[in-house]
Amino acid sequence: MNTPDSATWQRTSPYAILFFLGRMLRLIVNNAWQSIAPLFAVTVAYQGDLVSKLILGGILAATAILGGAVLSWLFFTYQIRTDSILIRSGVIKKKQLDIKFDRIQGVNTQQNPVYRVLKLVTVTFDTAGSSGSEGNLPAVTREFANSLREKIGRGDAAEMADDDAPAVPSTSLLQLDWRDMIRIALADRRALIIFAFVGPLLEQMGDRFEQFIEKAVESAAFDASKLDVGTGAIIVVMIFFSVVALLLIMSIASAFLRYHNFELLLDGRTLRSTGGLLTHHEHAMDLQKFQTLRLQQGIVQSWLGRFTMTARQAISGRKQRRGTMFMIPVVTADQADQLRKLMLSPAAGRLTQDPRSALFQPVSRYYLRSRILYVGLMPAMLWATAFTAVWGVVGLVALLWLPLVALVSWRSWQRAGYLHDDDELVCRSGLLGFRTVALLFRKVQRVTVTQSRFQRRKNLASLRLYMASGNVRVPYIAHATAQQLRDYILYRVESSQQSWH
Amino acid sequence: MFENPEVAPDSLPSVDTVQWQALHPAYKRLRQLQALIAVGATVIPLLLITIFAGLELLQAVLIWLPWSVSSAALLLWPTLSLPKRGYVVRDRDILFRHGVIWRSVTAIPFNRIQHVETSSTPFDRKFALATLQLFTAGGSGGDLKIDGLADQTAEQLRIFVLQKAGGSIEHA
Repeated sequence: MNTPDSATWQRTSPYAILFFLGRMLRLIVNNAWQSIAPLFAVTVAYQGDLVSKLILGGILAATAILGGAVLSWLFFTYQIRTDSILIRSGVIKKKQLDIKFDRIQGVNTQQNPVYRVLKLVTVTFDTAGSSGSEGNLPAVTREFANSLREKIGRGDAAEMADDDAPAVPSTSLLQLDWRDMIRIALADRRALIIFAFVGPLLEQMGDRFEQFIEKAVESAAFDASKLDVGTGAIIVVMIFFSVVALLLIMSIASAFLRYHNFELLLDGRTLRSTGGLLTHHEHAMDLQKFQTLRLQQGIVQSWLGRFTMTARQAISGRKQRRGTMFMIPVVTADQADQLRKLMLSPAAGRLTQDPRSALFQPVSRYYLRSRILYVGLMPAMLWATAFTAVWGVVGLVALLWLPLVALVSWRSWQRAGYLHDDDELVCRSGLLGFRTVALLFRKVQRVTVTQSRFQRRKNLASLRLYMASGNVRVPYIAHATAQQLRDYILYRVESSQQSWH
Repeated sequence: MFENPEVAPDSLPSVDTVQWQALHPAYKRLRQLQALIAVGATVIPLLLITIFAGLELLQAVLIWLPWSVSSAALLLWPTLSLPKRGYVVRDRDILFRHGVIWRSVTAIPFNRIQHVETSSTPFDRKFALATLQLFTAGGSGGDLKIDGLADQTAEQLRIFVLQKAGGSIEHA
């Protein structure tokens, strides 16, 4: 393998064909599915020797895909210069990607089982500018990836060691064990989504069950035993629980796949995470680069007393991709506070992000009042009047909207809060769970203070801080406080000599 | 040498004591003209319907009452909203305020500006007006849009802001 300093066009290892193969297959699964399905239907509808045709088609398709992958590899060249990396790709549509080193926010690597045997990795660059067209370098050696990482990080992390990955003197901050895998699995939102898909199926089961009961009842009239109903119920309950168990097992398996042996490391000023059972994932992020730090807790996680911590980097226009977030899937509140102290030091990091901390200042009670008034009472009255005019007394059901809104508002008012010192602000919110977002004043992009009519009467205001990774809102605080905070933040930003990214 | 003097919170420059610059007076006329065109465009089909469809009185009222209310609101809106808009250019940032019911003040420090854009619609050009848009990182679309500036003012502001932003980029 070549050194990163050579300024000529190079190809990666031929094993990169595997990467392109994977990418093509993913592309086909994602896009061409709709076009393959009718093709398949035509083949099936066509009279003739179906099996041999299918085999022939399969072989043809496989050759085409393999050929495509080989071509992609042949046309994939890259060049590493002193301050940027150039990647040329594309068989028919040529593309050249020019990534400047100082725009790269993180160098991530992935290692699938085959590459692990071959000691190769796929490098992915996180960039602030290009959403969608991210740079990949498939099938390079780990040494190469590390030297690249070092070269890119040279700008702000000069003390990086130049040894190979395992020898880098890095401090381990956090390790996850199998119990954490189960915690991840239980808190996984995707488990709920799968459940939503299986839900209709279960409902159909319910229909069958009902029919079964009807029949059973009928036959019971003809002197059959009632035991059958009981057996049916047991069967349905068993099906239900086995589906739940299956989902749980799938969820746990996916947690192991992604986070097995998860370890969080600190190399100088670079945060790294490694983990994964089959495909080995490695994420790296410069501590300078993150914009907001959030600690999140869903309902399940609050039972388990755990949080998910994410560090968000700058985005460009579109929604945050999962890739540009640095995620630590399970931490306790204490661990999170220790981590953030380390990550934000020496400038900041003295605050806590534990949502249960008593240090959080509440937002004004009028937050509750105006929400109940404008979101709850007024629509409820309007709807109730309209519905009663149409359906009579039943229309009064619309009034139930009010207690619902009141409950939700009360909950979110209770959970809203903020906390700040001279360098950073932590904002707390939540409805079922908790979320605290921390930001550094000097990284703020713009500030807005907004007052509604109601807020003007009560001398209140909402402060919104726009970061390069999204915005953070502190609702219903005293107008004077909002103004003071804004003026101070502007002062911090405008006198800051450090770059925000 | 690195200095880090302490700053008393009261001594910080406040946004609230500034002298707000109004938008160009021609902008109000432009917005009123636009509203008038919109109202005019809806009145013709409505008239045709009323005359030829043979509506009953109640139906006609049901059509014309909401129409007149919304037209009045549309025509009045520029008079209400434009005086509430304004901008201030300071040494290190630019401020913009707007809103009738929800009033907000936005501040963008020059050293956070990524790029600047001026644009003008054919209407704008008729009145010699232009729109200035300032972009910061991470935002979607225009982060701060000041419309209804005289085209010369917009151009001057663009150059000034770029110069300030460039100056801050150098030492960043």
